[in-house]
Formats: sequence, C-alpha cells, structure tokens
Amino acid sequence: MKIVFKLSIALGLMVAFGLTVVACSSTKDKYTNVPADTVAEASEEFKIEKSGAQLWGETCNRCHIAPSPADYNDTDWETISLHMRVRANLTEHESKKIEEFLKSAN
Amino acid sequence: MKKLLVFIIVLAFGSSAFGQTYNTFEPSKTQFMLRGYGHTGFEYMDSGDETESTFLGSAFAPIFLYKHSDRLMFEAELEFVLEGNDLETGLEYADIMYVLNKNMTVRAGKFLLPFGTFMERLHPAWINRLPNAPLGYGHDGIAPSSGIGVELRGAFDLGGPKLNYSVYSTNGPRIKDGSEEPEEAGILKFENYEDTNLAKAFGGRIGLLPFSDSSTEIGFSAYSTSGTGEEDSEFEDIGAFLYALDFSLVKQIPGLSGIVDVKAQYNSSNVDTATFIEMHEDGDEEEYSFDNQSNSFYAQLSYRPTMASSDFVKKLELVGRYSDFNAPEGAEWEEKSTQYAFGLNYWLSWRSVVKLSYQTTETEGGHDGDGITNTNGLFLHWAIGF
Repeated sequence: MKIVFKLSIALGLMVAFGLTVVACSSTKDKYTNVPADTVAEASEEFKIEKSGAQLWGETCNRCHIAPSPADYNDTDWETISLHMRVRANLTEHESKKIEEFLKSAN
Repeated sequence: MKKLLVFIIVLAFGSSAFGQTYNTFEPSKTQFMLRGYGHTGFEYMDSGDETESTFLGSAFAPIFLYKHSDRLMFEAELEFVLEGNDLETGLEYADIMYVLNKNMTVRAGKFLLPFGTFMERLHPAWINRLPNAPLGYGHDGIAPSSGIGVELRGAFDLGGPKLNYSVYSTNGPRIKDGSEEPEEAGILKFENYEDTNLAKAFGGRIGLLPFSDSSTEIGFSAYSTSGTGEEDSEFEDIGAFLYALDFSLVKQIPGLSGIVDVKAQYNSSNVDTATFIEMHEDGDEEEYSFDNQSNSFYAQLSYRPTMASSDFVKKLELVGRYSDFNAPEGAEWEEKSTQYAFGLNYWLSWRSVVKLSYQTTETEGGHDGDGITNTNGLFLHWAIGF
C-alpha cells in the first residue's frame, strides 16, 4: 500500500511538473505568420449567420406580430419586403433573408 | 393513313400538353398589391357631467403598393372614417421611393415623418395595442405625423448592432394665428399641403439597435423650421424646433413564458414667442403672448404569454400605458393632462385583434375650460390588417 501511495505521489508530481514546464514554455517566436487574406477567409468560413427565420422573429416583432408565411405568395412577399425595408428602415441583408425565409416557408 | 392519324393525335394532344406545361402564369415584373386595415368598435365615456356611449363607424384604410422593379416602388394610403354623420376621407401618404444603394433610399411625396416611432410605425389600429393614440398625438397634438417633401433614409449593419437614419425636408408647419380659431392661436398645424412661405422644415431621426438580437432601439428625432407664418405676415419669422426621444424593447423572456414589449416616446415642441390678439365679448382687443413650449410623453408595457400551454392564453395580451401632455401656460389652449390606460387584447390572428380597454384621463384646462375634468372611458375595438 505504501508503494502504491508513493508511486501515486511520484506520478502526480511528475504530471504537475510536466504541465508547469509546458505551460511556462513560450513558443511565441516560433509562430508562423499567416497572411491577412487567409485569416479573413477563415473567419468568413466560420462566421455564424442568423437564419431568415430568426431575423423574421426578431425584426417583425419589433412593431407587430410576425406574419404567417402562408398568408401571401412569393410575388406578394417580394412587394411586402421592399415596402417594409423602407418603412421600418431595415438593412438590405435583413429584408433579403426574411424574404427568402417567407418564400421558402409559405 | 395510320401514320397520318398518329401525327394528328400527337399534334393535337401534344400542343395542348405543351400549352398546359408552359402557360404557368409567371409573375409579372411589375406587381400591384392592395393591403391596409380597418377597425370598428364600441365606446362608453363618462366625464362626470356628461356620459355617452356609441358604436363606432368602421374606419377603412386601404394601402396601395405598386412595385415597379426591385428598386422602385409607389405606396399610398387612403383613410375613410365615419365621423359624426359625415364620411371623412384623407390621404395618409402617397410617395415614390427608389433604392439608391444598400444603405440609402430616396422618397418623395407625402410620407409619414420619422418623428419618433409612434406615428410612423405603431399607429395603425392592428398594430397599436390600445384603441387610441397616447396624449400629444393626433388632432391638436404636438408630434408631426406626415409631410410633403423629400427624404433620404437607410440602415447600416455594424456587425451586430444596427444603425438607421432618416433626413428630410418638407413644406413645414403653419402656425395658427387665431384669426379663425382664437382659442387655438399658437398651435402648429402640420397638415400644410401648400407652402405659404419660403421656409422649409428640416428634420431627421437616428436610431440605434445596440444588441445583435435587435431587441432594443433608441432613437433621437429633430424637426426645425425658420418660419411658420404666411409670407409677409407678422408670423413669417416665427420658427420652431421640435425633438423626440424614443425607446423600444421587444424580447421573449423564458422566465415570464412570453414576450415583453416596452415602448416610450418623449416629444418636445418649442415655438418662437409671438403676439396674438384676444377679442373680448365687448369688442375690445387685447394683445397677449406666451412662452410657446409644449411636451408630451408616453410609456407602454405589454405582455403576451406566447409560451403558455393553453392555446387560448397564448393569444391574450395585457397592456398598460401612461401618457401626459403639457400645453403652454398663458395660451388659450393651456392644458395639463394625464392618462392611464389598461387593456386586455385577444389576438385572433397575427393581424386581427379584439381590444378591451379602460382609460382614465385627468385634464386641467384645455378647450373645455379652466377647471379639472376627469374622463373615464371603456372601449371595445376590433381591428384587422390585410
């Protein structure tokens, strides 16, 4: 039992020592410079974008209850989207995404 | 012969099948839509000395939308209201708009003014959570609702937060000089369809949505003109400056199992001091003037238990609103009013609502006299958007 205890203590100390060495080691001078356009591409790739359904819920409810997609056809939604974009001062991105969602869900 | 028959059959049925396949009534490039809203209801009013109850004649407000292209559009709203025994008609707005780029749209014609958010976005009966507007809006109100002119507006995505703006120039208001209605001398009349001087009104609004979920919006609006009187009249150089602060918060709160909607707006009107004439009963005239400053405020809270298990409860909405209006001391229309309104709404659909509301208003001064008047009202309204 004593041997097991001593081995456990020794193993624990080795792990703690090892982690300390790794944590304190700096590899800053060994970083590879990544071109700016590559970073931009990567961030674009992993950007989480809100869905049209989410924007529909958040944006329309600011003034009135969010409309049912089934109440109008695709052509009508195009007209309503342009009207609401100007009336409620929405961004182009918001109105396009909401229009796409309404047309896909009606 | 057989081949000829087969050819004729193929030709006859084939052309019909072809026609059915390709005659799919593709939408035209230009599109026309009729939308709008209407409402009706019942009101009971008790002002102490006087009580009245009446069914309200329907109000009908058709909106015409003509989409010429993805950038060009015309919009117009008419208003038909039964007032007393007359049918009143009005042109709420009629304007042409063109999307210049993703951040800028130009509008020209008669358009709703972005002075705060109530008149531009929230006043239609199927959107407004209560049967009427807060104090300070509408007839004799201090907040301008529409104007004839030109406007630039748009919005920017700031990578989460959003910013929207609007700048415009219109014909501007006309000051009531008291010659026709002495008791309204000094009030700004915004329905000034034909300009009577060279001064134009300039205004705008900037709105910030600081959070990425668009739940909150804070806005500042201003409206200014250097002249409100007729050209060559003593009121020609009477200027005015108005501003408004607005706030909106709409958020689903799981802890409350529903959506909380907070709206508030403060309006301030400052008109240059002018001299008016008061006619006494004995025919004598007396000049008077006053510090022409007015303000109004409203705050509204509503709650819809959208996450309730019962379908009936989901469609209910509780709403409460406080509003006040202060007209200038010394004016014939001097007034201090405070109103509390409470309501219970039932949403038949996303655009049709039955509103039951109780309102109590305390008015000191105003058109009805110098004393204090308490008016209590019960309203049952039904509104539908289409």
